[in-house]
Amino acid sequence: MKLFTKYSRVNLVATIMVLVAGSICYYFIVRYTLLRQLDNTLKVEEAEIIDFVKNKGQLPEPTNYKDQLIRFKATEFPVRRRFRSISLYDQAEKEKDLYRTLIFPISVQGQNYEVSVSKSQAEKEDLLVLIVIITIGVVILLLLLQFLANRFLLRKIWHPFYGTLGSLWEFNLTKKQPVPYHPSDIDEFNELDNAVHQMTDKIFQDYETLKNFADNASHEMQTPLAIINSKLDLLIQDQNLEEKHVKQLQAMYDAVGRWSKLNQAVLLLTKIENNQFIHIERIGRSELVDEKLIQLEELVEARKLKLAFDKHDTVVQMNSYLADILLNNLLINAIRYNVEKGSIRISLTANQIKVVNTGTPLAFQPDTIFDRFKKGNYSDGTGLGLAIVKQICDKYNFGLSYHFEEPLHIFTVRF
Amino acid sequence: MKLLIVEDEKILSDSIASYLRHENFTCETASGFSEAVEKIELFNYDCILLDISLQDGNGLDLLKEIKANNKMDGVLIISARNSLSDKITGLTLGADDYLPKPFHLSELSARVAAIIRRRNFGGNNTLRFNELSIDLQAKAVFISGKLVELTRKEYQLLLYFTYNKGRVVSKNAIAEHLWGDEMGGAANYDFIYTHIKNLRRKLMDSGGEDYIQSVYGMGYKFTAS
Repeated sequence: MKLFTKYSRVNLVATIMVLVAGSICYYFIVRYTLLRQLDNTLKVEEAEIIDFVKNKGQLPEPTNYKDQLIRFKATEFPVRRRFRSISLYDQAEKEKDLYRTLIFPISVQGQNYEVSVSKSQAEKEDLLVLIVIITIGVVILLLLLQFLANRFLLRKIWHPFYGTLGSLWEFNLTKKQPVPYHPSDIDEFNELDNAVHQMTDKIFQDYETLKNFADNASHEMQTPLAIINSKLDLLIQDQNLEEKHVKQLQAMYDAVGRWSKLNQAVLLLTKIENNQFIHIERIGRSELVDEKLIQLEELVEARKLKLAFDKHDTVVQMNSYLADILLNNLLINAIRYNVEKGSIRISLTANQIKVVNTGTPLAFQPDTIFDRFKKGNYSDGTGLGLAIVKQICDKYNFGLSYHFEEPLHIFTVRF
Repeated sequence: MKLLIVEDEKILSDSIASYLRHENFTCETASGFSEAVEKIELFNYDCILLDISLQDGNGLDLLKEIKANNKMDGVLIISARNSLSDKITGLTLGADDYLPKPFHLSELSARVAAIIRRRNFGGNNTLRFNELSIDLQAKAVFISGKLVELTRKEYQLLLYFTYNKGRVVSKNAIAEHLWGDEMGGAANYDFIYTHIKNLRRKLMDSGGEDYIQSVYGMGYKFTAS
């Protein structure tokens, strides 16, 4: 639930409850006050009648003014003095009206009488109804205003917050786009915006530092590798080497070679990420595949692989070096992890290239196949070949997918 | 032939000098920017091997200096930064070639020899070794004047061997020379054997001598003995 909705809901319920309770109290207090006022007028009338009886020794004439009635009724015993609200028929207005009545006993020369003095309550009731209507009107107006305020004012106030939130959703470390500012006159939101900026700046900075470190480390390793390589090159010139030494030297050569390839792969990943391959050209995909297959001919033959290539002449817009690497890594992968006398099928269509090769099932989760340094148990590869493929596809928004249909590994790049 | 090796890693420049001396090159070394400037001003070299990242300066500035002084020296840039922009800058400034670290000494030797050949024997593009002659322009190989039909890879292989006469060249170096980075560190280089075998057969069939020896299965040696 949105903060705004939650707040409004609580606020609305509380407001209605307070206003209803307040209105009920208000109604009763006003009603009580009005009746008290009426009762006091009736008491004055009572005093006048008692005075009249005391002085004159007889009852006054019953009267029936417009809004005041006085009646006498002979009773055997004195009645109890009390106030009542009763309905009486009004001759003049030809309708029943509510009357406030004071009933009290009086004794004239030993004869008990019940006196009832009534006054119309209608005016007071009208007043009360008016008051209640006004109160309800005010309440409704208040709620409406509150609703509108919440809807428009709060939305406006929260706007910078949603702006900041949107920026965070769109935040992408590799794109290096700074988060835009969302100024607000609310201190809390400004603080949040500043905190977000400080945090993202720090993340960018740390990321850059880390990347530079990896980059520099890889570069710095090239020189010691060059030294080892050169010493090996000199060592094998020695006429007195024995065969057992040579085997060890070969292992060292291979290890240095792998190390150097690994370094180059790491550096390549950084370069792609840093957008250092800007130049884009039109590349004929069939020609590129043909060219690659010639380059890799020996590897294919060495493993006695059967090769099939379904051509389709289309062009793709990308950097030629990256296009070369993309295809090279996919094909090397299909050759290296193939089985002896297996097969490779390359299919080009208008908008995709598919590389299908025979091979044993993966020793790891298929969805991690494009992760860095992910490789099978017996692989002597760098573990970066497919990660580079992924990086290149991401750069150009190509779709890259892998699935396994026993015994075929299927890699698809959609342009 | 006189070479200057500008490299701040002494061990590496010693290795390079030690390997190249066998090719009848006179090698001098400079371990820093200022020392290199001094030597370049005093002497003429056939080729300068230049490391870009020196402790006391940038090798590219040194290259500018060389070219500004109208020196005819050939320049091979050696760099730990295998960067395309460095390569382009270097070549634009007048360097002859660019070799990223780490490299095989046989590769370096072949590159240096190619640079010197291009500069000093501009008109004469034929490389001779006993009855063997290689026309670099036409990329054709003759034995006693008779053309030997070689594939592109076999030709490259022979040329590589002649630039490293009398030296053991490892299979790794050969694979990298012929296929570059494409191999992505292939599991084994046995397929090179096929190419060597074919090359030897073709040379011998045309009446050439068998100059290529296998060394413990780890490499090959091109030698007259």
